[in-house]
Amino acid sequence: MTSRSLRLDADRVFIAAIGLAIVVLLLVFVAWPMLIIVGKSLTTKTGFGLDNYWRVFGGRKFATVTWNSFAVSTTVTVITVALAFVYSYALTRSAMPFKGAFRFLATLPVFAPSLVQGIGLIFLFGRNGLINTTFDLEIKIYGFWGIVIANVLYSLPQAVLLISTALAVADARTYEAATVLGAGPVRKFFDITLPSVKFGLLAAAFLVFTIALTDFGNPMVIGADYTVLANDIYNQVSGQMNFQLGSVVAIVLLAPALLAFQIERIANKRQFALVADRSVPLAPKKSPLFDACMFVAATLIVLPIVAVIGMVVYASFVKGWPYNLTLTLDNYLNNTAQNGYEPLVNSVLVSLIAAVIGVVTTMAAAFVIRRDQGVVGRMVNGIGLLPAAVPGMVLGLAYIFAFNKATGPFSLIYDTLLMLALCNVFHYFSQGMLTASTSLRQISSSFDEASACLGGRVVDTLRLVTLPLVMPTLLAVGIFFFMRSMVTLSGIIFLVSPGTNLAAVTVMLLDDAGATTHAAAYSTLIMLVVIGSLVLLNLVLRLLGKDAPRAAI
Amino acid sequence: MKRFVTGILAAAAMMVGAVAHAGEITVYTSYEEDEVKAYLQAFNKSHPDVKVNVLRLSTGDLGARMLAEASNPKHDVIWGWAVTNMVDPRILELTEGYAPKAVDKMNARFRDPQNRWVATTGYMAAFCVNTDVLAKKNLPMPTSWKDLLNPKYKGEIVMPNPASSGTGYLQVVALLQGMGEDAGWKYLKELDGNISQYIKSGSRPCRMAIAGEAAIGLSYEFVAIKAIAGGAPIKMVIPSEGAGYELEANALMKASKNKVDAKTFLDWSITPEAVAAYNAYKGIVTIPGGKISDEAMKAGLPADVSTVLFKMDFDASAKNRDAILERWKKDLER
Repeated sequence: MTSRSLRLDADRVFIAAIGLAIVVLLLVFVAWPMLIIVGKSLTTKTGFGLDNYWRVFGGRKFATVTWNSFAVSTTVTVITVALAFVYSYALTRSAMPFKGAFRFLATLPVFAPSLVQGIGLIFLFGRNGLINTTFDLEIKIYGFWGIVIANVLYSLPQAVLLISTALAVADARTYEAATVLGAGPVRKFFDITLPSVKFGLLAAAFLVFTIALTDFGNPMVIGADYTVLANDIYNQVSGQMNFQLGSVVAIVLLAPALLAFQIERIANKRQFALVADRSVPLAPKKSPLFDACMFVAATLIVLPIVAVIGMVVYASFVKGWPYNLTLTLDNYLNNTAQNGYEPLVNSVLVSLIAAVIGVVTTMAAAFVIRRDQGVVGRMVNGIGLLPAAVPGMVLGLAYIFAFNKATGPFSLIYDTLLMLALCNVFHYFSQGMLTASTSLRQISSSFDEASACLGGRVVDTLRLVTLPLVMPTLLAVGIFFFMRSMVTLSGIIFLVSPGTNLAAVTVMLLDDAGATTHAAAYSTLIMLVVIGSLVLLNLVLRLLGKDAPRAAI
Repeated sequence: MKRFVTGILAAAAMMVGAVAHAGEITVYTSYEEDEVKAYLQAFNKSHPDVKVNVLRLSTGDLGARMLAEASNPKHDVIWGWAVTNMVDPRILELTEGYAPKAVDKMNARFRDPQNRWVATTGYMAAFCVNTDVLAKKNLPMPTSWKDLLNPKYKGEIVMPNPASSGTGYLQVVALLQGMGEDAGWKYLKELDGNISQYIKSGSRPCRMAIAGEAAIGLSYEFVAIKAIAGGAPIKMVIPSEGAGYELEANALMKASKNKVDAKTFLDWSITPEAVAAYNAYKGIVTIPGGKISDEAMKAGLPADVSTVLFKMDFDASAKNRDAILERWKKDLER
């Protein structure tokens, strides 16, 4: 046996080992809890059966509510992907000014506690809101369009993350060749740019669709009488303590995710790599008219986001929202939160753990999907995409069923910050994995081949070639996990214990108790902590001599 | 190597050991954050040796969580949780009958015959009326459910959806029990013409009224009292037909590992000390002898709330829940 084939065997073992590790993790933290949900949906008073399904499908309005869900999600997807594409295009392919600021502003909704949208949207668009009173209009926000606007604002950053990752990498030679052959900008856009980001667009569409489909927070605040499927889960589980019927609806919500998985597999086959071995990075050239247009477009897109967040910061400095707007610092100095700022510290810890575990696992998953086209790769891809379609509330409850045991390995980590971090990692696993995959896919496999020919092991290719190329994406994914963990509520609300309270929960408690301005102050502090962490990260990277994460939207 | 393994085991044992020890109990509650803080201060004044760890969730979320945790419960006591949910057999199964000291002095109406739960406090249906909006639109002040049928209020009333909100359910069930099935449904149907939206939480209708998004929010008294104390242009209206109400009860968990301290806590929960603390926040306190808070008085709550409460039949309300919600969804949900 030659040393070369020994090496190939070692490579295969290495890939298989990573694949196996990821499969085990996904089976334990995604598949097992999901199976429990399936089990619940089949549990009836008399034993096992499909009775719950017939009850849900036969229920009055099931068709209407399903239709509502799909109407909202489709509208949100079309609008969000279009806006996110324009925004990402401006960020990556134009030479407009203040790109750094635009990148940052678009991430705001990711780390804004959900209360922010409630306050901000109603203050802006409500009957008594800024727009209606200023222009003396009678626009009714409550209902279909309210949910759509809220969800577009919320999912835009996640779509921008994916699409800008796809757009960031391009080979200037292709464009030069097209120019030489006489192709105009329109032709180049449709024949080169669009096909090259097809996967990114598709992944973003899938993601936005499932986010909109599973969200029940926005319909609760601003949906008025417009009921969607996710509301049905909430009504069944929380309103009527009926987990069985709730799980049936949760399973129905999984269908589009499975469908999207198939579509993605087909698209995947036709995807080609963009960073070939000899590619030249595309640097946007200055073009005053185009840059100005892009600048205006990006400003218009980001304006509502900034306005909504600004509203909450404003609310944190007033006495009584919204009828007594006297300015005060009282909400910060005498905040009524029961445990003071301890939950904030807990949240930072949980978010850091989630960021580290999140980056390692999603990167490993993306690597396995790329290098193993067999059963393992497909399993990782399939299970990894499921969490996107599971409402956080269902996941949190499933985690109780799966891991709340009196004895055994999970009894050791249950009720710890680690458990909360794990819940967050797997709740947002799909987003992280899709972003990492999008980035990996754009690196030509000729790198792997060249590296292998030169006798490099897979480990070497990974360390010397792949990792440096996807470093910006890794950072972006890590930051994403950190930010989401700081504010997410729906899943962890069922897992926090008196000793492990989190900042987002505190915001909810304050808001529930009617202390809106105190909740706004606490939300503002959360956002400050996240911004502070980003600044710190930037400084550290500069000290290490690395560029700040370019793709870290 | 052996030492290493022993070290790990010792560390693991410490982690497990840290979870529970004597003098410490875990309590699940749906009382609001600021109430919890005040009540616990009162409790620790007379019982400084018992540390109470509290987890607060909304009524529905807490129920879902307790049912999911049923195989390995994490708490010793359920505290201040809606009776309509408490009487669910799946929850009662998790509790253990315990008669707190001097419980026999309480009205039997407010406790389970087997003492599986004892209700100490409660909340009642109330309208939050925004006086600014009322003046601007030149609308009269309503005083009863019947007044709400006035066509002038069309599109100005927000009501909680009873399928997702306990407050919404208690309003509906009190109307049905008070007027009788047929007249009750007929009334709800007529009222529907004036409702601008059925919102999915019980405190939100009042918030909508506070923000001026609606003239009238059908909600409960606690949010209204708070809003008025905070300076909002709100008037609280207790409907003259009698207000539907919900009781909040306490229970001992069968699985509790520290029943001694849990019982100490439950004993305290019906003492005059506790009653004094409840009265600072609660519209309804089932144990006589207290005095309602100044804030509540200023908001217009009568000194003796029993005069304005509708006599609820909680057993019927829990038993008919599915049927009532089914009919509500069929006839009224939009």
